[in-house]
Amino acid sequence: MDVNFINPFVLALVNAMEKMMNLTPERGSPYLKREGMTQGDISAIIGFAGPSVTGSVALSLPTAVALKFHSLMVGETVFRLTADVQDVVGELANIVAGGAKTALSREGITFNISIPTVVVGAGHSIGHCSGLPVMVIPFEVGKHRFVMEVTMRME
Amino acid sequence: MRILVVDDSTTMRRIVSNSLRAAGFADIVEAGDGRQALETLADVGMVLTDWNMPVMDGLSLVRSLRANPATARLPVIMVTSEGAREEVMEALSAGVNDYIVKPFTKEILAEKVRLVLDRLGSAWM
Repeated sequence: MDVNFINPFVLALVNAMEKMMNLTPERGSPYLKREGMTQGDISAIIGFAGPSVTGSVALSLPTAVALKFHSLMVGETVFRLTADVQDVVGELANIVAGGAKTALSREGITFNISIPTVVVGAGHSIGHCSGLPVMVIPFEVGKHRFVMEVTMRME
Repeated sequence: MRILVVDDSTTMRRIVSNSLRAAGFADIVEAGDGRQALETLADVGMVLTDWNMPVMDGLSLVRSLRANPATARLPVIMVTSEGAREEVMEALSAGVNDYIVKPFTKEILAEKVRLVLDRLGSAWM
């Protein structure tokens, strides 16, 4: 996977957080995912496919980060991973995929994106396209850490 | 004036509705897809709709509104994560009056609504 294709996803996430939460996350160094287990308590994954590309993007957050994102986006405070919090995480993944789609379309790479799937629970796994390497991009907001996972295959 | 917010995400509906209320638009109604929107049009003076929704998507909603003489000129803004040029053009061709790409700031959302209302006012009624 060409790591240059990760940047549109990273930029889309940072843009979404700055505009909708007034937060700027710090990005860590990307690495290849080795273990099958996801690091967060809640994850949202979106698949995408087009004439020349197949892949998926996922956000995986610890509970504290998901609750903070919900509070900042909706303006309401909750204390557990309610359906509303799951909806926020799914919507954020949708915005990230949509932003990357827009950016990559300028490079001639077009695709359609799926409706997000949200998974909750410690130790859950994310079902990316099988057999493809998955890049993990860590982010920090305050003292909290979360990750975005991206996998993409050019045909 | 009543504004109809259409999105399958309850969160996004709440974000858009709260942003509009904060900007002084008090009369907000919501629908979860295009079909529900068509059943919620009573006294509505503007529609803000997502694109990707189950049952009936935003583009189909816009085409349905434009095909009905009673709503052919109802102001509609598309609020979507679909920001590619081809999609913007497709939405404009279908008849949307403006287009907001997610993510957006609350200020941009309110300003776009005001601009469309200033431009179109109640002339469609």
